[in-house]
Amino acid sequence: MGPKGVFRSLYREALPVLLVALVGGLFSGLVLEGMLDSVAEFPGLLVMVPVFLATRGNVYGALGGRIASGLHQGLLEPRFEWNDRLVNAVIASVVNAVSISVVIAALSWGVLRLLGREPAPLVELLGIMLISGTLTASVMIVGLLGLLFAGYKTGRDPDNLVGPIVTTLGDIFGMTFLFLAVVIMEVLVG
Amino acid sequence: MALLTDDDLGSWNAGHIVRTMFPLLIGLCVIVLWAGISLNDADALLDQYGLLAVMVPAMIGMGGNLGSIMSARLSTRLHLGTTTFDPTDQVLWANVAGIFALAATVFTALAIGVWLIGQVVGTGLRLWQLFVISLGSGLAIAGVAVIASVVATYGSYRLGVDPDDTTIPIVTNVVDVFGMIVFLAVARLVLGG
Repeated sequence: MGPKGVFRSLYREALPVLLVALVGGLFSGLVLEGMLDSVAEFPGLLVMVPVFLATRGNVYGALGGRIASGLHQGLLEPRFEWNDRLVNAVIASVVNAVSISVVIAALSWGVLRLLGREPAPLVELLGIMLISGTLTASVMIVGLLGLLFAGYKTGRDPDNLVGPIVTTLGDIFGMTFLFLAVVIMEVLVG
Repeated sequence: MALLTDDDLGSWNAGHIVRTMFPLLIGLCVIVLWAGISLNDADALLDQYGLLAVMVPAMIGMGGNLGSIMSARLSTRLHLGTTTFDPTDQVLWANVAGIFALAATVFTALAIGVWLIGQVVGTGLRLWQLFVISLGSGLAIAGVAVIASVVATYGSYRLGVDPDDTTIPIVTNVVDVFGMIVFLAVARLVLGG
């Protein structure tokens, strides 16, 4: 394929996916805008937002990549079943996602203290991260696996599906559950 | 089905996956924390112009998407033995051009989308301001994504690491940080915040 063909095929294949991701991004942007009022109550919340979103991409992107390879190699069947490999991969991503949520809260709190800012109490930031991290994990894992399996069964290459699925689901559910966690925390703190 | 022992599971063992990935996750968190601090410091600007907050996740996410498309293309060509990192390689430049064309299209759509949301919500940023902010920072972010992809893929190749495993997390997280900083800088420049 010549340079012109490369340009055209890249543009044509990637544009629809990017536009879907854009809609997901705009939705989570609206949620973020709605969350700005709570920032005064939980100083440090905004620090955690990009880190939280990026981590969703890292954890579930890795899970998706692994599942895609497993499907290609014939190690996994494209359905929810008690397969030791599948179970191990899912457990690992839950452990990673929940533990890194704790790290995000502690790190954000610690760095803000070092910079001489006044973050919300560590336990409140931790609570927000744990609630949102756990809720996001359950939806992301079921959604990602379900879409990958369905895509694979209908003849799509799971390698090309992982990135856009993770970005879009991660943006939408990550921000929604972050918002929900903030609301729950507001009620708990009173 | 037969139960697999830990040896059979190999790289699929949950403990193994966590042990290899968790240090990387912590490192990436530390990098992206910088983006978080920038966003936190832009609190007042976001309060004044709520539409900027609407743009943030799409802006950042799109930079990461463009970076991972570029990285995936480069590492596939590397595996196939067709990338030489020769600056006269026309296919390399066709990919770069494709990334910028995608960026121009998507960031134009972002400006229009955010403007439409602003019409409904009733917060006023002018269409031209949104175009300048979205395309100005978007094209800069695309540039960062391209450079980061080339450097990370070439670096992995020279170090003998499979770029499939390393480039995408590195590129998306680096682009997250630069994306946030560039976006907020351009927004401040345009809005005089």
